[in-house]
This record gives sequence, structure tokens and C-alpha cells, in this order.
Amino acid sequence: MQTVKITVNGALYEETIPARMLLVDFLRDRLALTGTHVGCTHEGVCGACTIHLDGEAVKSCMMLAVQADGHAVTTVEGLARNQELSVLQKSFREHHGLQCGFCTPGILMNMTDFLARHPNPSDEEIRQGLIGNLCRCTGYVHIVKAVREASKTLASTAG
Amino acid sequence: MDIQIQDSKHWMGARLERKEDLRLVSGQGKYLADIVLPGMLHAVFVRSEYAHARITGIDTSAARAMPGVVDVITGEEIKAHVKSMRQPVLLPNLPAKYPDYHALAVDRVKFHGEPVALVIARDKYLAEDAAEMVVVDYEELPVVVDAEKALAPGAPQIHDEQPGNEMFAMTFTGGATPEEQQRNDEEVERIFKSADVVVSHRFRVHRTGITPMEPRGVLCDWNMSDGLTAYITTQRPHIDRLALIDILDIPGEKVRVIAPRDQGGGFGVKAPFFRENVVISYAARKIGRPVRWIESRYESLMNVGQERDQINDLDVAATKDGKLLAMRNRGIANNGTGQTGVYWGFVMPFLGQVEMPNVYTWEKGDVKLRVATTNKACLTPSRAFGHLPTRFALERSVDMVARRIGMEPSDLRRKNMVPKLPYTTITGEYYDSGDFLKVWDNLMTNIDLPAFRREQAAARAQGRYIGIGFACGAELSGVASELLVPMENQPGYGAATVRIDPRGKVLIFGGDAPGGQGHETTTAQVVAAVFGINPADSVVTTGDTGSTPFGAGTIGARAGSYFVSAVHKACSELKEKITHVMAHDFGLRATAEEFAFTNGDVIYLRDPSKRKTFREIVERIIMFPVNLPEGEVGGLEATAFFEAAKPMICFNADFCIVEVNPDTGEFKIKRWVTSEDVGNVINQNIVDGQMHGAIVQGLSNVIFEEFIYTDEGQQLTADFENYKMATAADVPDIELTYASTPCPHTPLGTRGIGEGRPSSIPGALCNAVCDALSPFGIEITELPLRPSSLWAKIRDAKAARS
Amino acid sequence: MFPAHIEEYVRPTSVADALAANARYEDGEAMFIAGGQSLMQAIKSRMARPRCLIDLQAIEALKGIGFEQGLRIGAMTRYVEIAGDERLRGAYAALRDAAAHVGDRQVRNRGTIGGSCCWNYVASCTPAVVLGLGGTFNLVAASGARRAVPASEFLIGPLETARRPDEMLESVAFAPVAGRAGSAYRKWGLLKDALPVVGVCVQVTLDAAGVCTAARVSLSGLSAGAQMATAGDAALVGSKGEPAALERAFAAIADSADVQADKWASEAYRQQLIRTLGADVAATAFARAVV
Repeated sequence: MQTVKITVNGALYEETIPARMLLVDFLRDRLALTGTHVGCTHEGVCGACTIHLDGEAVKSCMMLAVQADGHAVTTVEGLARNQELSVLQKSFREHHGLQCGFCTPGILMNMTDFLARHPNPSDEEIRQGLIGNLCRCTGYVHIVKAVREASKTLASTAG
Repeated sequence: MDIQIQDSKHWMGARLERKEDLRLVSGQGKYLADIVLPGMLHAVFVRSEYAHARITGIDTSAARAMPGVVDVITGEEIKAHVKSMRQPVLLPNLPAKYPDYHALAVDRVKFHGEPVALVIARDKYLAEDAAEMVVVDYEELPVVVDAEKALAPGAPQIHDEQPGNEMFAMTFTGGATPEEQQRNDEEVERIFKSADVVVSHRFRVHRTGITPMEPRGVLCDWNMSDGLTAYITTQRPHIDRLALIDILDIPGEKVRVIAPRDQGGGFGVKAPFFRENVVISYAARKIGRPVRWIESRYESLMNVGQERDQINDLDVAATKDGKLLAMRNRGIANNGTGQTGVYWGFVMPFLGQVEMPNVYTWEKGDVKLRVATTNKACLTPSRAFGHLPTRFALERSVDMVARRIGMEPSDLRRKNMVPKLPYTTITGEYYDSGDFLKVWDNLMTNIDLPAFRREQAAARAQGRYIGIGFACGAELSGVASELLVPMENQPGYGAATVRIDPRGKVLIFGGDAPGGQGHETTTAQVVAAVFGINPADSVVTTGDTGSTPFGAGTIGARAGSYFVSAVHKACSELKEKITHVMAHDFGLRATAEEFAFTNGDVIYLRDPSKRKTFREIVERIIMFPVNLPEGEVGGLEATAFFEAAKPMICFNADFCIVEVNPDTGEFKIKRWVTSEDVGNVINQNIVDGQMHGAIVQGLSNVIFEEFIYTDEGQQLTADFENYKMATAADVPDIELTYASTPCPHTPLGTRGIGEGRPSSIPGALCNAVCDALSPFGIEITELPLRPSSLWAKIRDAKAARS
Repeated sequence: MFPAHIEEYVRPTSVADALAANARYEDGEAMFIAGGQSLMQAIKSRMARPRCLIDLQAIEALKGIGFEQGLRIGAMTRYVEIAGDERLRGAYAALRDAAAHVGDRQVRNRGTIGGSCCWNYVASCTPAVVLGLGGTFNLVAASGARRAVPASEFLIGPLETARRPDEMLESVAFAPVAGRAGSAYRKWGLLKDALPVVGVCVQVTLDAAGVCTAARVSLSGLSAGAQMATAGDAALVGSKGEPAALERAFAAIADSADVQADKWASEAYRQQLIRTLGADVAATAFARAVV
């Protein structure tokens, strides 16, 4: 057992955990942040567990929680500010970028990071950026649209 | 006074933001794995490593001695305390040889991944540690994974009930008696003998399906007073409840099943009744604490979501001017072990053969199916239930006929399309309504075929290979009892309870359990349209057998057809009552039609000064039920059932352009255009999303996904690195167009959509690839369609030519 | 699935501390974890059951890309950093090609060049590119002893390297390239950016007239792991990258490569991919050398 200090969505958590606990289980089982989902066994392909580690999109099922000790994690629960959804979250609602919603938190986390680095993406770049997130419901069409429209909104409101 | 009577109707067809999405985009959804009960234990299944073996011993002592382990349950214990899975509630009314089996394997395992034991511990990590310590001794038995080999003499016998491993066989054409069928077959043979053109091929479709992103799960709670509460990832909680009652022998009043409000996709995969439900229920009852099992992706890919897997030997006869005359098909389905309640695997290939004729007129047909049992996992339903392989075979054959006679495939399709509905096909499938030709012509106006042919010729001159493909399909739009009773031993009606609350809000209860289709939103739009209120003023509860009316489940596109029709019917009953009381209160002799429900008001049209807000009038009826019209009582709640006399359909047509690289066999989809008849639309976004998803599922099935078994029955594709689902970068954008005809059999003119939609995808894609490669004379008859196999065909064709 | 019990997790801040932690365990009982994008798969599936995990994330000395005496990339340098470093052009451009298409964005935000090469998975891109570019692996032992092992000796075979149990990888280095050199890498998989069914890395050096004076070709995706392919050298050297020469070179490589059939491709298709990808990748390498 090991004591870790991890900042999650701005709050510092000090928890004693086994070394083998996956970060995704720490978030879901210890902190009850169940917006981060698990869709693989060991392979880490589906991307539903994507979170931000120090601002970068990573898969929380492919890390131990102890590896996040001393770092800042953001989960899908941390995207909205003061009960207000982010531009990307709103765009997913407006453009029907989700159906069952199981993959959605991971996609939102990955694309939030993506848009920060690619403010004016082409559809092809968006599709390339989404490779780490599988979606079974949407055929990706509305997801691409939601990301594209969010990028426009962000561009028009920036600066 | 200005009255906008049409006002409320604008909710129909709107691209309304979904009510589900605020919670789902903010991480507030409640999926099964998010539900935690106090004292909850965690379960892990031990599963068979062999495809066929005798269990000679199970040693659980080491596992039991592990820290945190509460219990280990084996098949023998289940057999001693729980009935077998072959209970009448789960048997279709079709003459198959149903294998009996227990929820955990007893004596023998019959496929790789079959559950053998259950380990229960206080922590999921500890449960997995202990599962490793369960020692199962196996004596390997001969394995058969190929359907034809399984049906051949001398094959290893899998189930005692099925001599020769044949689970089901049926003739779908010619009549009910063997004599009628034989006469029919002889007539078919005569047509083939005299036909100008006969196209005969063996079509193979691999094992693939629609894997939801959320795997299965079960959480069971037991107490002496209330009995069993089972949270199950399921599309049909009410049927699961009946099955648990019958199998565990628990009185019905003591079983409640709850499908979580949020489920990460179903697509048919969560429609059967699974053995894991029984084992977890048993464990919770035995231990007296909540027990939860969350399926790993490995288990999921080993056990469920596997479909297709058919051979169809299809002959098609036609005239030289392109009239389709007759078809003859011999289908062989590889059912795996057939051990999954409700469908037993074979119901999918059964329906696949029913849908073989598609939307074309045929003089005669001779369609037969054999379903083989093998040492693979049982087929589970996957969107395009059973008919992706048959439609692939037929739509490819149609193109081959066209090529043989030098006709445009699109012309041949239109020439043979059922011109007028209703229509009953040669396999007895009833097409209720719509206009196939209108949909087809709409597709053709959205593409420019002559221009494409010129472009194609120019490209070929440069050594580039581009091609176009068409395919189309009629899909079931909900399933009436007429078909669901024989097929699944279940009613087809839609059921809904509508309760109006004294504050003017509307609560709707549905027994079906959605998994992303947006029931909460479409239902709210329908309610808003009827009552003239805002969709925000209603809330939908689904999936809890404790509070919802009995329903067969979210299956076969039943929401847009059956469920919302039941909602509409219940709302209409309540509307009638509201207007009755309104008329009484104002001293009017008015009919319901003389009142408008709009913008939150109920208005007497002949004198708009006589009006009340929706809230006022409903509060009056619910809370102040005095001075009512004679014979009327207070309260506003109604449960309605909606049934259609016959199954209903929707219709779609696909067009695509591909370019094939002859050096590598790689192909790129340059354009995908569709034309759809979806009836009247409730929410355009949701309809579009259903189509996008279904089409891309079809593409992913055809190109990327495949469950691979070795000859020894070892499954090699139980993770997402090996079971390859298309990513966003692998699939094209989709252009949807609509040419809908309102359904005359539903109150809102809606059709259920989306379920069967992937089935026309393989035909369209492969037809385009073959069109591109027509200079090589390549015909694709086998899926998956992979660059590697395509390249080999091109290479062989080049070699043969030179 | 969940990892088996892990007794100890340590996060040293220096190479020496990392090696000291490793030395406290028997061979193989402690494992270094870099980005973990492969190792965690093995740990979760319990194929790997380390008693101790030594996390290298806090060792700053292992991070970064430097251009003193050629090119040196710290073992803990992530794909995202390699893919985004515009200084990696010409002779080194293949590193960016590979890093930009490993897995997906999330993987590239964690995965490292050192982790990939030390794991040396059968179907991986980075080892083949380091090999193709003639890289050297700088290892350091608990004793403090350092050695530089050429990639051709370091990459023994799938999941096997010349790293000794008491050693760790500090950096991957590439000697300065004389003259005009260009490189490129591309892979083919059934899905976009998936593990390579076949990948080809080409590095060429040209003289002032644009004639190839040296060529290095390596392959990924084959069952023997990353490997050099020299059968095309004769056709490449002396050419200016004319299509016919490239075709000839990769026909020879395809014919001599030891390719396997598996569920994704036949032997013949792998050979065809080597021909088509190879010619394409080589053309890019030539073009990059000219610029």
C-alpha cells in the first residue's frame, strides 16, 4: 500500500492504495468519478477511459494510480465550469455527437486536448485525432461534425 | 385571438437536443458498472480454455483459501440448485432441436470461453487472483468448428439432442407441406432449365457482429422480504424477469429486473437471456449480499456479439432483358453451440432466409436452410439480424446478372423492384407500405450515373480503377406479434404508461430498455406534440420491471414504430378525458377535436376565451376531482398497448463510389450516398445518427472485423487489437437523403428504423469494387473484403489474361 | 483484467537510483516502466508479473532530443515530442514518420522511444527505424559501466534485446551523417495507424549530383522483428531514385525477405507491400535528401 497525492479536477486527494491499482479504478472506485469508462480488458485500445494527465490526453486504464502521484488529473466531470458545459460538450449535444454515450467522455477528453493543439483542424485531421477512441453507435459522422463546429466556435470567441 | 394550432406539431421532426445528453456529456450517466450497493461483492468467471473437453475435476480449494474470497461456485452446485436454461419461456415456437444446458458448464465444455466456475470476492482484483487458482482438469474431445464438417457423417457429436449436429432445418418457400414444397421446387427447376441467364455462386460471410462499447454486466441483490433485484445490461428486462422466475424458481412477486437507464449500446447483443444472469442471481441469493459481475472485453468477445457466419449457395435465374425469374438458395449457418436463450442462435439465420428475396419480384423461389452446431460460441443477434449474409449474396447476384446481360445494375434493380405495396414475398414476408420506386428514383437523382460512367472510362484510360455499387433493402420496422410469437415466443405490441402530474408535467414509463437510441427525447417530442407542452416538461423512465408496463424489449426498431405509437395512444386517451372535463367545466357540448393543446394551454377553438393552462386543467382533474362529468373519475394516467396486424417495414438504398489500387488491392470509398424511407420523422438528428452508425457498422463488419477460430476451436480475436473495429480514420463521411412515405399503420406515420440497415452495405461496397475491377472480371463472393484478398484476385486475373 | 500483486513501486530521480532499486531484486523481478503503453498490456494480462516497478518518469536526464555529435534522443522522450520536433529532418525524418503514427494520440502522449525499443515488440515501428537509421543504444549498468550497442546487436528478436538485467537504456544515438541524406518510414496495417503488417524504413545518402552513395533499408512487421534488408542496396546505390531503380530494389528485397503469413496478410501480400511501400518510402527519402 502506498499513499499518493493526486489532484483531480482541481481538488487534492490523498489516498492509500495498492501499487497495482489502475488509475481508472482509482478514479471510479475511490473517487466515485464514474464518467471515465472501461471498454477493454488489457489492450488499451477503446479510449473510453481517456483523461488528462497534466493537461494531456492519456488512457487511464494504461496507467497505475501510483504513477499519477503528484500529478494533476482532469476527468470528464471536470470539463464543465460553474455548471456550464464547455464549448465542445455543448457542440456534442447540439450536433448529436453521441448515442449511447459510453465512449463520449473519452472522446471529449481527447478532443479537448486535440483542439487546444489543433485550433483549426480539417475533417481528416479530426478523424486522425480520433483513432484512439472507438465508437460503435455514431459511425463517427456527427462526432467529426461536433468537433469541427466546436473549433469554429472556439475560434470565433477567442481573443 | 391568434391561435397557432399547428404550434405543438413543430416538435415532430425537430433536431431537438437530446434530453439524455446533458448527463452523458458531463460524466453523470449511470451505467451498470456505475451502480454500487453497500456490501457489494465482485464476481469473476472461470472460463473454458478448450473448445470441447470433458471436465474431469475442479479443485477450488486454493481459490477458497485466498484472502478476501467469499465463495466459489461450480456447475455441479448450479445443477443441484437451479433449473436448466432450457425453459419454455426462452424457447421460440419453431421446431428446432434445443440443447439443454446449465448456467455453468457441467461435465463437458463445448466452446472456448464457456463459463465453468464463478469466484466471488470482496474486491475485483482479489477475485481475479483467486480465479487464477481454480484448477480445472480437462480431457480434450474432438472439435469441429466448420459448419459443413459438423453436418458431415462421423463428425464429433456436440449435443446429445442433435444427431448429426443439425439444430434446425427449414424450407421457406412453396407451401406448408412437403408435397407442395416438392412441386414448387420442381417448378423452380423448370424455370432454371429454360432461363436465359443463370448465376450460381457460393457466398461466404465470416463471423462478425456488432460489439457494443459497454460490455455486459449483472448486479444482483437479494433479501428475504423483497427477493431478487437484478440490474442487468439488457434490451428486454421484462423477459429476463420471467426467465429468472422460471429458472431460479422464485415467485414472480419477488423478482424485479432493472436495466440501467444508461446502457452503452445493445444492437441485439444484449437481447438474449444469458446464463451469467442466472449464476449471479444464484450467488446473491446464496450469499445474501449484493454480487456484481462486469464482463471484461475478453469475455465479451469470447462469448457474445458473434453473428453472420453463413454460407449461401445461391442460384438466380433471369431473362436476357433483365427480368428476375427465380432464386434457389441453400443456406448453411454456423450456429456455434446454440446455447443462448431466446434466439438459440438459429433464429437469426432463420430470419435471414426469410429476407432473402429482398425488394424484388420473383416468380418462384426455393429457399432452404440448415443450421449446424459447432464448437464456437453461440451466435448472438447483431444489428441486421441474420440477413447481412443473405442480402450480400442476393445483391451481388443481381449485379452479376446485370453484368452478364450488359445492363446497368441500377436499371435492373428498378425493373424488378416491387412496384406497389403491400406485397408478400415468395418467402412469406409481408411488406406493409411505402414506395420503393420513389426512394430509388430519389437516389438516382442525387447521383449522376452517366457522368460517372464517363469519368470511369477516362480513369481507366489512365490505369485507374473506380467503380460504383448499389444495393437496397427492406428492413423490419418493429415486429408484430404475428412474427414475434413464433420467432421469439414473445408479444410484439408496444406498451407505455403515461402519467400526468398535478404540476403539469408528464411522466412516461416504458418497459423496453434503450441503449443510446434516444427514447427519452423522441418520446418527449411525441408527448409535446400531443399535449402542446415543451419536451422539457416530460420525463421518461425505462427498463425497470417494478414501474414499467410489460414490453418485449428494445429490439428490431420497435421504438419509432411500436413504443411511440403506444405513447401516442395513451396520450390520446388522456387528452380525450381532459377535453371531456374542460367541456363540462365550461358548460360546452364540445368534442375533443374542438380543443387545441398548444403552448401549454388548452383552448376551446370556437371561443378561445374559454381556455385553461395545461397545468390548471390537469391539476383540477387529478387533485380536485369533484363536480366531474357524470361517469368520470379523477386522475390522469393511462397505459396503452399498440399492435400492428402485420409486420411493418422501412426501406433504404445505397450508392457508393470506390477507387481500387490494383497494385495493393487497397480501396478507398470516395462517396457514400443513401436514400431512405423512414416514415414521418420525430427527431431528424436521431434518425441521421441511426443511419450513420448502421452504415459504418456494416462497413466495419465487411472490411475489418472478424472472429477467428483455429481448427482446434481456439478463438484468436478476443481483444480490440485483434478484433479490429473501424476507427474514425478508416471510414468515410455519409450523405443521407430521404424520400419517405408516412406509415399508414402508426398513428404518427412513423416507422421504426435503423435495425436492419447494415445489411445492404456489403452488397453496395462489393458491387462497387467489382465494377471498378470489371476489366479483370473479378467477382467477390466472400467476406471479409480485404486488400490482401483483393490484390490476390487481381494478380490471378492478370496472370490468367497474359 | 487487473495487474497481479505489485509489492513495490518506486520513482527514482536519477539513473543511479533507478539502477540501485533494480539491484535490490533478482533478475527480472523488478521492471523499469517508461510510458507503459506496451508494458501495461502485459502487466494487466498478467503476462508480466513484476514484484517491483521502477518508474522512470522523474529522471530528467533521460528526456530530450539533442544534436551534439549527431543526434541523441533520451530514452524517456515521448512519441509526441519526437513527432513534433521539426529539427528531425533529412537523415532523421523517418523517426518523425514513425512516431507520428504510433497507435493514437493518447499512446503518443505516454509512449517513449526507449520503452518501445527495450520492449522490442514483434510488430512495432520504432525499433525498425532506429535500426534503419543505424542507431546506437547507450546502456548503463548498476556498476556505472557504460556501453554503446549498435541497434543491429541490441535488437535481438521479438521481446528480446541485448540489455542485461542490471542495465538500463539512457539514450538512443545516431552518428552524424556526412553529405545529403534523407530518410522515411511508412507502415501498412489493416486499420489506420495500427501495428504494422509491414513497415519499411529507408535512409539514403546522396552525392552532390544527387546520386545515391549509401542506402539503408529496414523492415518492420515481420515475425523475426525489426531487420535490415540489404538485397536492394545494389539497385539503390548509384541511382538517383528513378522509379525503375526503386522498383528493382524493392523487388529484390521482397523476394529475399523472410515473410510470414498470418491472419492479416499472406506471404505474397507482405512481399507485395514491401514492393509498393518500399518504392514509395524510398522516393520520399530521396526527395528529403535533395532538399
